[in-house]
Order: sequence, then C-alpha cells, then structure tokens
Amino acid sequence: MSAPRPGVIVTVPEVAVIDEIKDEIEDVRTFYFSFENAEVGRRFRIRSGQFVMCTVFGAGEFAVSLPFSPEADRPHLSVRQVGKVTRALHELRAGDKIGLRGPFGNGFPFAELKGRNIVYAAGGIGIIPLRSSIVHVLQHREDLGRIILLYGARSSKDHMYRYMIDEWRKIPGFEVHVAVDRAEPGWPGEVGFVHTLIAKAAVPVKDTTAFVCGPPVMFNAVIQELLANGLKDEAIISTLERHMKCGIGKCQHCAIGRTLVCTDGPVYTYKQIKTLGEQI
Amino acid sequence: MAAALAEDHDLYGPVIDPPGAEPRFDRVEDPAAVRLEAAIPYNPPKSVIFPQAERIMSYTYDRAARRAEIVRDDHVRPKALVGLRACDLTGLLCLDRFFLGQEFVDEVYRDHRKKLFVVANSCVRPFPQCFCVCTDSGPAAREGYDVNLTEAGDDYLFEAGSVKGEVLARRLGLKDAGPGAAALKARIGEAAVARFDAEATQNKAWISRVMNRVTTGFVSNDIWEYIGDQCFECGACSFVCPTCSCFNIEDVAARSGQTDRLRSWDSCSYEGYTRMAGDHNPRQPVEDRRNKRFFCKLSYSQSRKYLRPGCVGCGRCVRVCPGDIGMSNVVTYIRREIAKEGAE
Repeated sequence: MSAPRPGVIVTVPEVAVIDEIKDEIEDVRTFYFSFENAEVGRRFRIRSGQFVMCTVFGAGEFAVSLPFSPEADRPHLSVRQVGKVTRALHELRAGDKIGLRGPFGNGFPFAELKGRNIVYAAGGIGIIPLRSSIVHVLQHREDLGRIILLYGARSSKDHMYRYMIDEWRKIPGFEVHVAVDRAEPGWPGEVGFVHTLIAKAAVPVKDTTAFVCGPPVMFNAVIQELLANGLKDEAIISTLERHMKCGIGKCQHCAIGRTLVCTDGPVYTYKQIKTLGEQI
Repeated sequence: MAAALAEDHDLYGPVIDPPGAEPRFDRVEDPAAVRLEAAIPYNPPKSVIFPQAERIMSYTYDRAARRAEIVRDDHVRPKALVGLRACDLTGLLCLDRFFLGQEFVDEVYRDHRKKLFVVANSCVRPFPQCFCVCTDSGPAAREGYDVNLTEAGDDYLFEAGSVKGEVLARRLGLKDAGPGAAALKARIGEAAVARFDAEATQNKAWISRVMNRVTTGFVSNDIWEYIGDQCFECGACSFVCPTCSCFNIEDVAARSGQTDRLRSWDSCSYEGYTRMAGDHNPRQPVEDRRNKRFFCKLSYSQSRKYLRPGCVGCGRCVRVCPGDIGMSNVVTYIRREIAKEGAE
C-alpha cells in the first residue's frame, strides 16, 4: 500500500461553497462547488473513479463518487436524495456550504487503456461515477480505439446528463447509444435494456475494456452479455458502493470479501468482484 | 510505580470494586486501587485509547451568514494503562498496526496512543478461560510495552521496553536485577506455559489449522449457518474483543447550533451495519455477518493488517456469548469438520 497522496483531506472536512445547483432528473441534482480556501482547492487532485465524503452540516456525512474529470472539468457532485443526509443536501441552495474529505479510493485505470477500445455501459444514475472517466478519456481520443457509450434508463425522463449526452453525440468517433426500457411517444432513440445495446453497437471483443455501472439487475445482464461475447473477466471494470463512515480503511463498514471498498476499491475488475463472495 | 505514573497521567488499570466484583479495567483515582493480581478483567482495555463513544470534532453552521466553522477535538490527556496482560497487550499492538499502519493513519487513535504509557503484566499462570498459547500472544509479554512486570515470588521484575520506561525506572530508583534476571523471566514463562494443560481448562483453539481453512474458503456452509443460528446479534463479542475496532460515525446536534461528530463502537453482527441509504443491504443473512467476524479474526488477509492472527486468546467472547460461538468454540467446530474429513 502507498501513503496517501498530498492534498488528500483525511480527517477534518474542508469547507466548500455550493456555487450552483442544477436539477438533473427526479430526485437528482448536481452541485457545483469550490473550496472556501483556494489553496485547498489547488491541492485537491482527483483521479477519475475516486469518491469523497461529503458533510451536510447538521445532518451528517455520506460517501459519493466524483463525476468530474481530473482534467478540464468543473468540480461537482451529482446526488440522488435517498436518505437523511442526501435529503438534507437537496435542501441546500447556491451559496450554502458543505464539508468535503478525500478524494479516496483507487480510481479507474487510465494508463493501461492506451490503444484499447472502450465501452461504457451505464444504467440510470450509474452513469454518474462513469462520467469522470468518459470526460477524461474523451480528452485522449487519439490514444484509443473505438469509444462507445451504452446508456439506458427506465424512461427518457430518467436520463442523467441529457445536455452532456447531446454534446457527446457531436464528438466524432464517440459512438453514443441511448435507450429507454419501454417505448414512449416521441422517443427517437433505442428501446430496450442496456445489455441489448451491446449487439446493436457491435461492441468489439478484442482489445476492449468495458466499464459497467448501474443497478444490480442491469449490471448482471450486461456482464453476462459481455462474457457471452467473449470479453474476459479482467477486461470488465466496475465501481461498487457500500455504506461508509470513514473513507480511510478504518471503520470497516465497507468490507466486502477480503477488501475494503474505500481503500482497495471502489473500482474493481469483474474478475475481482467474482472472488469477493458477496452480493453487489 | 502507579503513584509515580499518576502524577502526570490519568491512571487506568484493573480494579475490583466493590470488593468481590468481577475485575474490570477502569479509571483509577487512587493508585493503591490497582490490582495487578486480579484475574483478567471482563472488559478489554481498548476503551482507554479507543473510547466506546467520543467526540472527534464539532462544528457550527450559521446558514444566514453562510459561515461554517469546524473544530477538531484533539485535546487528549496523557494516560497510563497499568497491568495489561500479554493478551491485551497483543490486542493493543493489533490496534496500533491497524489504525497507524495501512494507507492512512487514523489521526484520532494516534492522538490517544502517542500519549499512552503502557505497563504490561506478564502472566505467571493462566486463568481457566485463557488460550493465548494457541494464538501466540502470551503468557509472557514480549514487545510493545513501556514497562513489563513479571511476578517473581514476593517481588516484581521490572523491564523497561522504551526510553519512557527507562526514565521511570530511574525515577523510581530501582535496583538492577542482576545478570540472572533474563533467565529467571524465561523460567517463569515456561512454568506458566506448562500450567495451561491443567489450569486453562475451558478453552483450546487450534487456530493455525483453522486459519488456513477460513482463508481458503473451505469451511462448509453448514458450519456458517450453525454459527449464524447461534448468534443473538447482540454485539457483545465485538465489544469485549481487544482487537475489534469497527466504529460508527454520527453527527449529533449538541447545544445551540453546534453539532458534534461522534464516533462509537459498532459491530458487524448488527443488521444495520451494512445497510445503505435507500435500504439496500448487501449483507443480509446473519450467517453472512458472523462469517465476517470470524473471517476478520482468522483469515490471512486480515492478519496482514495485524501482522498476526486477529484473536489474542483472552477468552472474553467465550464467556460473554449468550449462544455458543465464542472464538474457541468456532475454532473447534471448524476443526471437527477437518478431522471428520480426515477420517473419511
């Protein structure tokens, strides 16, 4: 194990200002932030796939993946209100303050992607943690093979980052496939679950790395389809979520198999996930 | 010695209070109340540096003024922990390696630990519940103490294990025990080990063989299910364990607009331990959770963090478990399975 990188906020949160809030889909908002102390902001260097512990003052702290890219992107969190603390976060308005610790976790591989085809398969808000890698990878298109996004949600109202996806469609060489589970009037795109997009997009097998994130049902269907197509366990990458309290490998709430999601994860290959012996 | 330490430390040690009560580790106001000869206390000493509940920081947020102030609670008084038996000392070393090692240092633990003075008390005979010889953590203290005491007839051998310990020895004006002291300590240790068969009658635990099994995953589901059936989900094993260190963190509103961030002991046996917001719980059945505890104590992957097995053989979980799944029993269930296979 390596020592934490300088600039990581370990124990006491640093105060950040919510500069802007964007409504995404039902119950999901994006919170653009900047650190109160500019020096802290400069030292806050992330890798895509990492997460932070976010304090909502008076309510508590929760773990949340970072959706922004390490390069040329505006810091933000995209959060669904689902429990006590995230509901309290949704009560906040631009100008309010939050506390942040991190960034924590291993992050997505990037260096070893060189020359490979990259497939992102996301379901619902599972695109949030993948967004960071997508934006990062798109800045290095020349070093990579095909780049494909397979994204699905229950209905078109449940598509996260719609404005972003519209921009992505314009990027030459970025193959974007967006689907809804069931046909709906006026929906011009694909219909069907995410795993059905794998065939429609003619996802390559050779030299391909797939990033998969979404609800368990979607996750399992996509994995089965990718494996059936011949992708190797170690070429499939995902990011896990667990109940977390400390983020630094001490409270043990996120223990899964012989690993801790906070320090050994949250990014795992499917080969690793299979050996963990627990539910996703 | 306790009196000298109490001059500049808060003193903790085994006490029997009221007379006839079970020995316990507690804060000691009167140094004379420390009972070195007491049987192993029912509670482990971990609470001295890893309190059952403590405030790690507090903050205020004035929403109207948009002002947030966070104050870290790092005011920790120097403490002396006197009369740690070898199992508990080993437990302390496990906590040190876990909290201070790995990728991140736990700053809250570190603040307590760096001001702690440790006086070990090597056991000269086992208690019925003990199995430290099975877990390689006793009966004599070997490392990690500032001072180690070994009862030798009417005297105690005093060994300094650190500069702080040597300073204390000089301050107390102790006389040199002479060249035979090391051999004497070794003889006392061997005699203590020799008594285990006859006196530590409640427990035996063939840990090493079972560790191999647990690590490689070759423990049948029947065993885990039996263990799950026996578990009352009370968490007592975690709380009396010298090496269990899982904790919860909660923000609790204190007085007038201030919120305290509290950290408190937690147990992997609780159903809510892994439950996420939105009620998804990846670890539902109780045997999943029990399996977790024994995996934590008995697998090589966790041992890498402690640099030894996670069980120190104190026997407390055996005494406290309302079911039948104290550590030595679980080890026995798994070992029986191995023996049965061998016979087939």
